[in-house]
Amino acid sequence: MENITLFINGKGVSCPTGSSLLEAAELNGIKIPRLCYHPELKPLGGCRLCLVEDEKTGKILASCVMPASPNMSILTDTPRINRHRRNIVRLMMAEHPESCIVCNKGNRCQLRQIAAQLGLGQTGLYHMPNYKPIEQANPFIIRDLTKCVLCGKCIRADHELVQTGAIDYNFRGFKSRPLTLHDLPLEQSNCTFCGTCVSICPTGALAPKNLTHAGTPERESDSVCGFCGVGCSLTLGVIGKQIVETNPSHLPETLNGATLCVRGHFAHDFLNAEQRLTQPLMRAEDKLAPVSWNEAVNHVASRLLEIKKTFGPQSIGFLGSSKCTNEENYLFQKIARTVLETNNVDNGGYLSGRSCLDLIDSRTGGGWRVSPLSNLEKAESIVVIGADPGNSAPVVGYYIRRTAKKGIPMIVVDPRRTDLVPFSTVWLRILPERDLQLINCLAALLWKRFGHDTGFIDRFTENFTKYSEGLSSFNHQRLCVEAGVDMISLERVVELLKGKKIAFVIGHGILQQRNAARAADAILNLMLMTGSLGTDTGGLYLLARENNQAGALDMGSAPDLLPGRENLGDSRQRQRFERAWEVRLSPDQGLNAIRMITEAEKGTLKALYIMGENPLRSLPQPERVLKALQNLEFLVVQDILKTETSTVAHVVLPGASFSEKAGSYTNMEGRIQCVEPVVSPPLEARPDWMILDMVSEKMGRFTRYDSLEKIRAEIVRHIPEYQGLSNGKKTFWINNTSKKGLFQPDGQGEPISFFPVAFAEDRPHDDNYPFTAILGSTRFHLGSGTRTSHSKRIGNFGKNGHVEISPSDGLELNLVNGDRIRIQSRHGSIERELILEKGLAQGLVLAPIGFEENDAMKLLPLTPFEDRTSRGLKTCQVRIDKIQ
Amino acid sequence: MNYSASEEEAGLPDKIALERDVAARLKGFDNHRRNLIPILQDIQDHFLYLAPEAILMVAEHIGIGASEVYGVATFYNQFRFHPPGRHPIKVCLGTACHVRGGDIILENFERKLGISDGETTTDREFSIERVACVGCCALAPVAVVDENIQGHMAPSKVEGIVLGYKIERDRIDRERENEPGEPA
Ligand code: SF4
Ligand code: SF4
Ligand code: SF4
Ligand code: FES
Ligand code: FES
Repeated sequence: MENITLFINGKGVSCPTGSSLLEAAELNGIKIPRLCYHPELKPLGGCRLCLVEDEKTGKILASCVMPASPNMSILTDTPRINRHRRNIVRLMMAEHPESCIVCNKGNRCQLRQIAAQLGLGQTGLYHMPNYKPIEQANPFIIRDLTKCVLCGKCIRADHELVQTGAIDYNFRGFKSRPLTLHDLPLEQSNCTFCGTCVSICPTGALAPKNLTHAGTPERESDSVCGFCGVGCSLTLGVIGKQIVETNPSHLPETLNGATLCVRGHFAHDFLNAEQRLTQPLMRAEDKLAPVSWNEAVNHVASRLLEIKKTFGPQSIGFLGSSKCTNEENYLFQKIARTVLETNNVDNGGYLSGRSCLDLIDSRTGGGWRVSPLSNLEKAESIVVIGADPGNSAPVVGYYIRRTAKKGIPMIVVDPRRTDLVPFSTVWLRILPERDLQLINCLAALLWKRFGHDTGFIDRFTENFTKYSEGLSSFNHQRLCVEAGVDMISLERVVELLKGKKIAFVIGHGILQQRNAARAADAILNLMLMTGSLGTDTGGLYLLARENNQAGALDMGSAPDLLPGRENLGDSRQRQRFERAWEVRLSPDQGLNAIRMITEAEKGTLKALYIMGENPLRSLPQPERVLKALQNLEFLVVQDILKTETSTVAHVVLPGASFSEKAGSYTNMEGRIQCVEPVVSPPLEARPDWMILDMVSEKMGRFTRYDSLEKIRAEIVRHIPEYQGLSNGKKTFWINNTSKKGLFQPDGQGEPISFFPVAFAEDRPHDDNYPFTAILGSTRFHLGSGTRTSHSKRIGNFGKNGHVEISPSDGLELNLVNGDRIRIQSRHGSIERELILEKGLAQGLVLAPIGFEENDAMKLLPLTPFEDRTSRGLKTCQVRIDKIQ
Repeated sequence: MNYSASEEEAGLPDKIALERDVAARLKGFDNHRRNLIPILQDIQDHFLYLAPEAILMVAEHIGIGASEVYGVATFYNQFRFHPPGRHPIKVCLGTACHVRGGDIILENFERKLGISDGETTTDREFSIERVACVGCCALAPVAVVDENIQGHMAPSKVEGIVLGYKIERDRIDRERENEPGEPA
């Protein structure tokens, strides 16, 4: 971009063409006061504090909306301007209530800051506050619009950044305020409580509702959100030893900018929950009693070694966590593999689509892994399939909505009316789990209409002919009927996508379904055919449920993978690690998360070491899981919270949360982010890597690391994708190690192969269970809800996991809103209140997960994915009865 | 669905009919943003107010948020969000009336009926609206109830007017009860 030069306060400066005067000044270190300007929002020019004077014409200009032009000469700090600024601020102060002492914005209030800068004390004006009642019935946000200065930042953030449209200016003149539809309280509007408006509001008009304090935190430190796989950048506000507030961080180039979601913004109060584990516990006579670290660690080490000796290494399992850091996951699997010599190591991420990931990794050589969300805004078209990011990964939802709002074609493929549907160009309302049929049909039609990218296919792929023959053999009409969509909509989608690169956003609707791997295969084929893979204007975005789902796999915390996601079956890789770790590694893959439980049930697994996972809440059929855990000779649970699982353990080791330890996390984009501790762990709790370090030392296999750096150095040595860990940067991307030409800068390398088309297997219908229940997440809970349910704010909110069915089914079954119903599957039943939801098709039931001890898991069978009878974890057949 | 007798009497179309009618009216406009105000005017002309369902439908038609539609509509004084009462009360706050205490009259009506300016009582009997000069400044402060100009308004007159309507209403109710053949 070209630069222009101009003069600010007599000094020659330059700035890119198109900058505003304010930006030009900012670039050159000249600060101009402002209230309504925000770098991520369209300028408004509302507050007039950013006034500057044009030296040549004497005109007074609002610098945030005035473009810089060559040879302009601008003064930013003249007596005349200051007089104006002071008057504007005086008027604002005259309208402002005098409640600064109890204001949660405290010292961060920009009105106060600016008044102080301008040396304003008493205004000398008649004080005339414009009172509005304070609104604070909801547990998250206090709105005291008497303090509003009408800068419009909240409205613009709500419209431009998160694209929710919950608030807008209402009325005019003195009465004007940012209000919801019909001026209802926020909880009765479509507000998602993302809190973006709260963080951006310069005054106390919008403030977080804090249960423990009012005012300014003592200090603030940057961190990364501990919930979903998006990995938003945060600033945590601390008072004493407690985290009391969360805001989006002010670091440059974060993926979330000024936005967050309700979990990131408000659910972190779980960190101060009473249920935090604060000291090691050991079972004595059926009760867990506090013991010293030494005692606990000695006991764990000796029992594990004993059991290994008596029953062999395969009798021990290690169930780790996709919420723990990379360093911890590395150590965890290393202990399992080297000290206890078992491949029985897995992490909770198993439940989120291992089969899909494996397949995509192996076909692309892992080259797809780096997929910056910022590219999503450059996409030529977007297909969201089996994903409800508005609930599961809200910040991804914001990206998609922003792109769609620009007029980019956005197709939603989902049986449910997700909150992306109103933004979509076309909504393909498929039948549940018929994604494979739909993708096949779409691919076949695109091929027929010449929607393929010949250049790309020739250059980067192989075996297209075989694939295209498969496509030609499809009967579109039939596939269309099977998928449950109409041909006209599909033809429209084909027209929209033809000739464009497609960005695919894939969620748990695909990842956890029965046909997961085949659907993923079909999507990859379609991406190759349209030349969308590995491009900035297309690309593949897999939603990850937990913050370090990707990293846990990278570290080899899986029964079949070594660090670097190397296949355990690959003898060369195995030998590499055998040499490095000086052990013998068995080539046989170990037990995955579900099989650990079923083996414990059978009595073949004797001991289980669980780190940061709560299988009693997150796995299907909790009664079976409980029996299995009780069947164990020895159960260690290392966690931050007292959970369903920790209460049945023999030893409980208190770990540290993301805010209390150092480490790195890898998000769904392939971005690795390092965090430092913001506060220390409560009482005797310790960072998980330190605990693992102590335990492994006691078992006497390798010497203690004692420092995170040493673990990192080892990771860097063994995992080429993680080279960046060595250079001390806080944020970096995983290194591409794919040998596929598509992912090489010069395009030279192996081709990616098309896979032959695959067909869906039909499942037999069971008339006893006529409904299909979809297990969906809500934005208030993450996954099974172990942590979010300990957030007082989330817990207080009136969402109690209502089940939804369509109004027509309601009519047929004679059910109305608020009825209590029993949802029963072949495996178990739950009871809930009912809501009739227009957006749902007949025959579907939406059961939210995360609520009421996550009892929705009772509906599913405890079957590993790879099992032929597996139905996945996304849907099941149920019946509905009214409870009288 | 149940409708109270008063709703039917007031001639309010029920919700489904309303949605159908709004949908029919929306057909006359393309979804360009510039149509927002004409659409709102059309709906208000027809239904006499902007019902919540209508606002949602307009928002969907134009493809903007419902809060935005509401924001635009509240900017203008011409739009109402409540159906007018059977007896609309307009209180003049033009210059002359303002000087003679029109705001006190408004406040009296508001307090007496338990609603604010722009609202309608739950029994749909009365609604209150503030208006600018109605052209009889000599009688200030002025209120217009139904179509009748009430000059030289005073708090006691507010009481009187409301009471008068109440007596009338009671009389009608009594007569109705006495009519033979009507189900109770
Ligand atoms: S919390 Fe989020 S959704 Fe709600 S009004 Fe603020 S920006 Fe909009
Ligand atoms: S509530 Fe805050 S952000 Fe919104 S307009 Fe008022 S002062 Fe600005
Ligand atoms: S989108 Fe995910 S990472 Fe971002 S704030 Fe929400 S829960 Fe945290
Ligand atoms: S910052 Fe320029 S007008 Fe508000
Ligand atoms: S000001 Fe009220 S009638 Fe003229």
